[in-house]
Amino acid sequence: MSTRTESVDLVGDEAATNLARAALFAALVGAFAYVTFPNPISPVSVTLQVLGVFLAGIYLGPVWGPAALVLYLAAGALGAPVFEGGSAGVGVLVGQSAGYLWSYPLAAGVVGAVVHRGATLRDPDAAGLATLVAAMVLGTVVIYALGVAGLALVLSLGPVEAVAVGAVAFLPAEALKIAAAVGIVRSDAIAAA
Amino acid sequence: MTLEYVPGDSLAHRLDPRTKLLVQIGFAAAAYAHTTPRGLAVLTLLAGGSLWAADGDPVDLWGYRFALPVLLAAPLVAGATLGTPWFRVARAETAALASYRVLLLLVVAAAYVRSTPVRDSRAAIHHTVPGRIGAFLGVGVALVFRFLPLLRRDLLAAREAVHVRGGDRLPVHERMRLIAVAGTNRAFGRADRLGTALAARCFAWNPTLPRLAFRRADYPVLALGAGLLATAVATTV
Repeated sequence: MSTRTESVDLVGDEAATNLARAALFAALVGAFAYVTFPNPISPVSVTLQVLGVFLAGIYLGPVWGPAALVLYLAAGALGAPVFEGGSAGVGVLVGQSAGYLWSYPLAAGVVGAVVHRGATLRDPDAAGLATLVAAMVLGTVVIYALGVAGLALVLSLGPVEAVAVGAVAFLPAEALKIAAAVGIVRSDAIAAA
Repeated sequence: MTLEYVPGDSLAHRLDPRTKLLVQIGFAAAAYAHTTPRGLAVLTLLAGGSLWAADGDPVDLWGYRFALPVLLAAPLVAGATLGTPWFRVARAETAALASYRVLLLLVVAAAYVRSTPVRDSRAAIHHTVPGRIGAFLGVGVALVFRFLPLLRRDLLAAREAVHVRGGDRLPVHERMRLIAVAGTNRAFGRADRLGTALAARCFAWNPTLPRLAFRRADYPVLALGAGLLATAVATTV
């Protein structure tokens, strides 16, 4: 039997913590997919995934926030039941919700970059209400622009048809998630941030 | 019921995870390149075959039921027009083929998920993506699998706590806030303990992973994946 010797390339303490946070946040966004709320405006219920994307940008910043969502997509592609309704697999990443899913890392990056104004993190509450809301509105625009474009491409729909299928019923609920995220940041309730 | 890995000894279980990933990529490319009734008929046989090779059955597809409303609505919305003729059959047909194509992609994905354990997926990603990015993705994916059930339980507990305290009378965004705060705090708490534990246990960029090796059964399947990719490329170019 042969033996192998190899030196161990240790991960630094800070990188280990950041990696753990990114992985846990990815799992949290996946767990958010199971929490549904009634949508006050349309019969389609809403999940908290997009709120998870906002929070990743706000609390992990423009580097580790997108990293967390890349992990989320990779884990989902390899079989973790983290996509809508607990689905998983590479097929979902090239299916009708492809545009929305691929936009998540980008949106988290945008939210993080606007809130933190650079790669170093600062207290998100210090960013001010207007900046927070603007960051999340921008994030929502990114998610829906790519999401609707993906829908049009994958299902061979025209732009108006894609908006009718993929945005009209869901977009109003995003305002609720922005309100919830602002409440979270302002209440100073996140201990570990 | 969610779709998950089921231990077994089927053909798909014995294949290298990288082979199965290549087949999925080839299948997706072929499905997008040949969205015709004939192309999709051939791919339907292949998709059914892949699920059969993973010892799966149509019940496994129940996990994808949330995709159905959009897939069913798309052809109807695409066909409908304002004014005569009110419904354009040709447009609806194109959109219906596109919807069906997505369904086939989900069938093949189900076969992969059913037949591939997390450790193999992690090793595949670690070996395929070079350098530290591969290591990061590999370990991150493994941690997501590990912690997802715990965080789901945390959120469920938070939800019940909000419910028994009469939280149902609160506005929706307040309820979202309460549950998200509980979930995020739990996630950060777990992450910081995990980070310390990882550092204490010599967490390395080069862990010992299960060895992956292509076997004889892999080669025809690899050829199938490459062939699917080649037909897609040939059609597009």
